[in-house]
Amino acid sequence: MMLEVDYLDWNNALGVLSKAYQTGLFALIIGPKGTGKTTLVRKFASQVKKELYSVNFSLRTRESHLIGTKTLDKGEISFVEGILVKSMRDAGVLYLDELNAAEADVLLRLDEALDDRRQLVLKEAEGQLVNAASDWFVIATINPLSHVGTKELPPQLLSRFPIRLRLEYPPEEVELQIINRHTEVDSSKLNDVKRAIKLAKNLRDAAALEELYYSPSLRETIAFAKLLNTGIKSNQAAEIVYANVYDQWGEVEYRKVMDMITSLFGD
Amino acid sequence: MIMRNDILLDIATFLARRWSGNSKIVIVLSEDKTPISKPDKNQIILPIINYYPGTDFQKYRQWRVALWYESMRMHYSTKVLSYDHAFGLLLNTIETKRVEFLGFREWEGMIKEIIFNESISWLSRPLLNSLYGRYKVVEAFSQYFLTGYLKGEVFGSEFDRLKKASDFANELIEEAIKNGYSTNWIEQHIPKLIKMLEIDPLMSIPIIAPRTRLGMSINQSDLLKQIEKVVIAKHKYDDIDKAAKNIIEGNDVLGEFETLVNESKKTENKGYESLENIGLSIPERMDLDETQIYDIDLIRKIKAAFRDWRTGWIERHDKTGEEFDPESYTESLPKPFLTDFKLSIKTKVTILLDHSSSIEDAELGYKQATIALCEALHYLAIKFAVYAFNTEARQVKCWIVKPPNVKWSLISARRLVQIKASGGTPLAEIYGLLIPVTKSFKPDIMVTLTDGEPSDFDAVREMVLTYRKMGIKMVALGVGRNLNDSVGITHNLKYLNYEKTVAVSRLQDMPKKVINLLRA
Ligand SMILES: Nc1ncnc2c1ncn2[C@@H]1O[C@H](COP(=O)(O)OP(=O)(O)OP(=O)(O)O)[C@@H](O)[C@H]1O
Ligand SMILES: [Mg+2]
Repeated sequence: MMLEVDYLDWNNALGVLSKAYQTGLFALIIGPKGTGKTTLVRKFASQVKKELYSVNFSLRTRESHLIGTKTLDKGEISFVEGILVKSMRDAGVLYLDELNAAEADVLLRLDEALDDRRQLVLKEAEGQLVNAASDWFVIATINPLSHVGTKELPPQLLSRFPIRLRLEYPPEEVELQIINRHTEVDSSKLNDVKRAIKLAKNLRDAAALEELYYSPSLRETIAFAKLLNTGIKSNQAAEIVYANVYDQWGEVEYRKVMDMITSLFGD
Repeated sequence: MIMRNDILLDIATFLARRWSGNSKIVIVLSEDKTPISKPDKNQIILPIINYYPGTDFQKYRQWRVALWYESMRMHYSTKVLSYDHAFGLLLNTIETKRVEFLGFREWEGMIKEIIFNESISWLSRPLLNSLYGRYKVVEAFSQYFLTGYLKGEVFGSEFDRLKKASDFANELIEEAIKNGYSTNWIEQHIPKLIKMLEIDPLMSIPIIAPRTRLGMSINQSDLLKQIEKVVIAKHKYDDIDKAAKNIIEGNDVLGEFETLVNESKKTENKGYESLENIGLSIPERMDLDETQIYDIDLIRKIKAAFRDWRTGWIERHDKTGEEFDPESYTESLPKPFLTDFKLSIKTKVTILLDHSSSIEDAELGYKQATIALCEALHYLAIKFAVYAFNTEARQVKCWIVKPPNVKWSLISARRLVQIKASGGTPLAEIYGLLIPVTKSFKPDIMVTLTDGEPSDFDAVREMVLTYRKMGIKMVALGVGRNLNDSVGITHNLKYLNYEKTVAVSRLQDMPKKVINLLRA
């Protein structure tokens, strides 16, 4: 059973993914955290009625998780296929989340499977050759190289994904619509939510310049709207959702954000 | 000084960029200048907080409101004229009110600070009775137009003129806002305003800092009364006493102020009571703009040259097209995108810049190359510290450009641009001063950029050995005007016990040479 996914396709990303799927070209989604990448992919998979095989590389996914492992069951050695292999055989949608966080050994195996032959040699299972089903589809996401230490995707691998989608933070009006899909914004709170969106935009701009270390995602604006609905005051909700997190980089950073909050909301 | 200039600069840059929505804004702090914006240059010039009267906190509040107004100008005005003649003053005054109105739509939370600012600046406004002639007209107009009331008396016919002119100016603003007109449109109507006021457009206006006018202290009960008056006149607060008390306390901004004061007390080198005790200095002045030493092209080139360091990958094009054989295929897989020097990024480095007078000819290029180097080190996530030395007022100074524990930012660049090349090369003395900070940072390598022979040859030899005994690799870069020159300099440096000496004849090559030293 697949859950109905409520995704607002504001920049026709779904349309592009469908075209990519029709032509069998793999797609890469580039965008900062919390811009709806995962939600988009889930929506796409449910639209084309395909099983979604998700791998998240920021969770230190190992090669064995992708390929599979040998196990001993009642004295019999068997090979339990990993998620990459399964998706190839079952013609599923393989979702490689935050691919640029993957370790080199993992990338090497993907490089092999994703090349035009779409096949994989299981050295773990006596050199078995896995051929992908003809409508196997792969979507990867990478976070932009905003913060120091983020890796770039090796060029070879990049070329395996000729369809590239950019998913940025949406324009302010769209962000409001998205929030509305997650929680009902009372008309008396509308101005406050608009301000929070503006605040988030400001902080994102600052983070893009490395003037701050963190940029709030859509999750924060959604959380802010939900918090407002509990009756909390807007400047207090903003402090909780937006400002407090910056304290870990020093009090000045926190104060900078608080200043934005007071000049926007007052008290 | 209650607040360090670099700390003011940091918060001002952040706030101005966010308030105005313009990320290119550069703040210039200049001791006693009236705040003014230069939209064409993305520049806001601000005084330091002592320009304002009142307690330290009140000074800060006025300074912050001034910054807000200038940020609004940067956003909504296309032009700002000088305040020292009537035409400019009038245009700017009308713009102040227009941008306040527009800005306030977005930044509603500024209301209390705006009231506070209007009240406190009212106290330093001159009494009209003490003024004569046309200057009186201009001041009276500004008072009446901006606040709706006058300080002192004007006579019947004068008042009519003022009222008419002020009504006219208000209509201009209304129309501009309704139709989305900007500064140029307002400017076209200034001549008419000048005629209405019967003044000369080029008449010069004395600019006097509010603190000078008012003296140091402010009578706090006068201030409270004034705040009450403004609250009543303009804004619909239910409880006027409470609102006024709230505004004079300024709790919204107090936390920020206290944080910045505390931050200013911190020295940049943990464990030392003050920088003076260990003989290091921080450039105090912040009035030269660092954009001139940013050579964007050079920075881009250097970053591109070391991109593979950061990504950890290099692209390799291996032969393909052979018969596919699963067995040998897996065996023979080259590691097509692995490189082996990722770890070298862990290197920590200290950079020491000679700013003796002989650098002067090439100062700009030298600073540009230094900025490019620092930007690249930051990009590569390498830990580094930068110091520079020169001589000021016959005193040798060792400046902290970037301490090891603070991230690279425009504040460091701003510091560098303030340091003027002058004096000699007392290298051993400088090395001596840097020993304590070096001991706590423990760099792997120390790079000294110099263009000549140190004045204290033997002492330098010993100092270099002292550093080497701490396990620090000592490298000197000889910066020369041309190849011959730099080779000569480098040759001399060889006798100073450095582990390595490198000649630099083209300043643009300096960053690459330094970074390549880290690779080893
Ligand atoms: N276009 C959209 N329509 C509906 N909801 C959205 C949209 N974009 C984002 N969201 C909501 O924003 C939140 C974050 O989205 P999601 O988890 O898909 O982002 P992501 O880009 O995958 O984030 P990360 O990079 O952190 O994995 C979710 O609650 C999601 O429902
Ligand atoms: Mg996701």
